[in-house]
Amino acid sequence: MNLRIEEIGDVSCVAPVGRLDFDAAPGFQEALERVFSGAGKTPAAVIIDGTGLEYVSSAGLRAFLLAARSAQRAGISFALCALQPAVREVFELSGFSRIIPVHADRASALAQAQQGRA
Amino acid sequence: MTARSTAVPADAAQLTVLTGFLREFGSAVALDAAHVQTFELALEEIFMNIVMHGSQPGSTPLVEVSLQRAAESVTMTVEDNGPEFDPLSLPPPDVTAGLADRPVGGLGVFLVRKMMDTVSYARISGRNQLRMSKRLDG
Repeated sequence: MNLRIEEIGDVSCVAPVGRLDFDAAPGFQEALERVFSGAGKTPAAVIIDGTGLEYVSSAGLRAFLLAARSAQRAGISFALCALQPAVREVFELSGFSRIIPVHADRASALAQAQQGRA
Repeated sequence: MTARSTAVPADAAQLTVLTGFLREFGSAVALDAAHVQTFELALEEIFMNIVMHGSQPGSTPLVEVSLQRAAESVTMTVEDNGPEFDPLSLPPPDVTAGLADRPVGGLGVFLVRKMMDTVSYARISGRNQLRMSKRLDG
């Protein structure tokens, strides 16, 4: 899996591309921890853009859970957006969409992140 | 009815072999991408459970995966010769727990049960057998 990371003001948008399975999950989680600790400055919010995320198994959910906890400890707002239908189903069945905010698209996730700071 | 099967050792590196086998079966029986992905997820969850819990020092179980396409359903059977273990006996995770209280594990089998129409376990001739079926309507 590849990650595209984009800084939009003090919000980091992370776009994983490919499959988040048992093999990819540990690396994904480490990459998110690096985003949280920030190169120089800590982001105010981290948004995961799921446009290119094709597949998430329970190993991937585990990475999201641990990342969401780290973000909370660091005072960083953490949300997902633009999930593909199959991935959204996994988030809904597991109840994860109730513990991690899921937005329809990047624009609404960004608007929410900015509102949270206003 | 179309049926195929393959067998691999319970080693994490073999999951890509099984996923390839599943995708080939999917295209041979004209299964749509969404259904293939549902079975891919079930295969990862069940196979990785066997990899993590089925091995004993000096012995790696052999895992056999069989796929069957009937007119209106697909059935996947995963058998292994590891120690007796019924994944369906695991208590379901609390999917309403909050972020802090959420247990980190236990979701894989839960997802499989939610995504398949029927899931059953049997211990037959020293082998664990987990059978999962999904209807193809809709």
